[in-house]
Amino acid sequence: MGTVHARSLEPLPMQGPELGVQADDMDLGEPEHEEKQEVLENKDVVVQHVHIDGLGRTKEDLLTYEIADVFRAKNLIDVMKKSHEARQRLLRLGIFRHVEVVIDTAEGTDALPNGLDVTFEVKELRRMTGSYNTMVGNNEGSMVLGLKLPNVFGRAEKLTFQFSYGTKETSYGLSFFKPQPGHFERNFSVNLYKVTGQFPWSSLRETDRGVSTEFSFPIWRTNHTLKWEGVWRELGCLARTASFTVREESGHSLKSSLSHAMVIDTRNSTILPRRGALLKINQELAGYTGGDVSFLKEDFEIQLNKTLFWDSVLSTSLWGGMLLPLGDKPSCIADRFYLGGPTSVRGFSMYSIGPQSEGDYLGGEAYWAGGLHLYTPLPFRPGRGGFGDLFRTHFFLNAGNLCNLNYGEGPRAHLSKLAECIRWSYGAGIVLRLGNIARLELNYCIPMGVQSGDRICDGVQFGAGIRFL
Amino acid sequence: MSLAAEAFVSQIAAAEPWPENATLYQPLKEDQILLSDSASSLAVQTFLRMCGLPVQVSCRANAEYMSPSGKVPFIHVGNQVVSELGPIVQFTKAKGHSLSDGLDDVQRAEMKAYMELVNNMLLTAELYIQWCDDFTATEISRPRYSSPYSWPLNHILAYQKQWEIRRKMTAIGWSGKNLEQVYEDVSQCCQALSQRLGTQPYFFNKQPTELDALVFGHLFTILTTQLTSDELAEKVKSYTNLLSFCHRIEQTYFKEHDREGQSVSSRHSKSSLP
Repeated sequence: MGTVHARSLEPLPMQGPELGVQADDMDLGEPEHEEKQEVLENKDVVVQHVHIDGLGRTKEDLLTYEIADVFRAKNLIDVMKKSHEARQRLLRLGIFRHVEVVIDTAEGTDALPNGLDVTFEVKELRRMTGSYNTMVGNNEGSMVLGLKLPNVFGRAEKLTFQFSYGTKETSYGLSFFKPQPGHFERNFSVNLYKVTGQFPWSSLRETDRGVSTEFSFPIWRTNHTLKWEGVWRELGCLARTASFTVREESGHSLKSSLSHAMVIDTRNSTILPRRGALLKINQELAGYTGGDVSFLKEDFEIQLNKTLFWDSVLSTSLWGGMLLPLGDKPSCIADRFYLGGPTSVRGFSMYSIGPQSEGDYLGGEAYWAGGLHLYTPLPFRPGRGGFGDLFRTHFFLNAGNLCNLNYGEGPRAHLSKLAECIRWSYGAGIVLRLGNIARLELNYCIPMGVQSGDRICDGVQFGAGIRFL
Repeated sequence: MSLAAEAFVSQIAAAEPWPENATLYQPLKEDQILLSDSASSLAVQTFLRMCGLPVQVSCRANAEYMSPSGKVPFIHVGNQVVSELGPIVQFTKAKGHSLSDGLDDVQRAEMKAYMELVNNMLLTAELYIQWCDDFTATEISRPRYSSPYSWPLNHILAYQKQWEIRRKMTAIGWSGKNLEQVYEDVSQCCQALSQRLGTQPYFFNKQPTELDALVFGHLFTILTTQLTSDELAEKVKSYTNLLSFCHRIEQTYFKEHDREGQSVSSRHSKSSLP
């Protein structure tokens, strides 16, 4: 009986748990065919041993869950398929630089004639990786230091630390992530952070120092996240010319909130999906676990995609949300919703729709926004098969409204208030996809339904971001 | 905004008359405001009454953070926001109301010197007693300052403010002093004021000026506020002409204008002078 060689599958680029593997890019290696291939394929085999070579600090009990399935394989093709799946599962833990699979006949005293040994040769990531960048932005320079400790205690825990020291602001974040052994989708993480933000559309400066813990778990096809967050918020005016309404919001407040999010995502990609749907529902209740602010906040996001003829994709999306202040204090400017800009209703300036005071936009307690897009390849398809595939042309129609509701009236009055004074826009542009995370857009927009007080950006508008309407 | 643009905007604002809805903002009167802020606020209110300018008083928990300079009180007049007595005096002067027009240059310099004395001595002594004396800080200042906030933010903000004031005291050299020395300084300051006042009704004879408003604000608040000990009030009481000065101003400007029952007194204290 000759030795069986299975060529190890090409190592795919290392990806952590945050990024999904793109199904379109995966490539299953073909086994080397020998002349007796037919016989081998139908032959029953038993997987006798599965080894993992190259472990350092990783604890073995974590890995037994991931590779347990390999033992159940019945024939050679099955063994290869299950080994490949086990390799994917080992990679998604985020603790190995690469994983290679070697399938060999069983050796040793208890070897069966049709026994196989499967060996996973792994290389662990280094204990600590760091990065150091300098950034220069709007009148500000800063130094960013990042530290990542993957697999801190041996069971795929991850500790990350980022520190940014700038001429104007300092911010930091510390995060600890731990998955449940055997069930990677169930995990919890604890975060400690300080972030500062400047919002020129509201003449507002906000500094948040907070701590949060979250649990994620899947139920059937949905993914749920429960989170508790405690934030010390400090608001201030960005300039002496800030309106008095914004000045009245300055000061300190403490928000302690519980939130729940549910996500169903069947799209094939996060950026420019070709098919599938997304449903995200998020609710937040603040004030019942301490703190100064008390509200109930709901918001949802729906997206549907369908491939049409000639490689074009039709995509529709709908966003909406509502903020209900509980108790007698009015809502805080940092909790309200904002609308407008190149990432939501295009054709309007960033977050410049809705209630405003002396040119500062205050946000609103209820909003909805919808978009209809048609994505097509670039005309005449330049650079096809390579660089040109990252670009798409798109034609869009966006609409939305943002307002404050009078909660004393009934739902009929609320709906009619959201339906009057709709802002909408249409246009066309080019979209560039950046990896699997972000996209850039350059659009020509024509805003319509503009109300007094809104600031528009008609003509060419540039946008970069992660989440687009 | 650049300095030139700010000056331009102030010029434009100066041309407008004093509106009816001018508002003065200070921390919450019952639970939050401290001695030093109460004194500064009373000084500004007295000054505006002396000028005959109407102003409403609005109490906000975040008044200190709303203020452009971080100090209370501040007034919101039309589109302008101005904080602290010095800038407010200049602002009203630009609008054409001034109390010190009748003074010549020597008297004006003297007035400025005495105002600096009050700010450097009396105000600093008030801050020292509130924040650097451990007993007062624990019993009165920290609980009051942090009363609008919930745990643990109340402790964080109160200690932050205490450290800030103590650092300031170290910077001006007061951290080496003890309570007795501070009371002595207050006494000397009152003696200087008493000597300058003499038997006149106001510091500059017949007409009140911003110096009178400032001195009244501080002395009246010291006399009518209950601290952990009465020693500060006793130091002021030993100068009878200052006592009668406070009486006189209270009678003239606060009793007759007291429409909505706005009382001048501050927290848990007697509502009239002893």
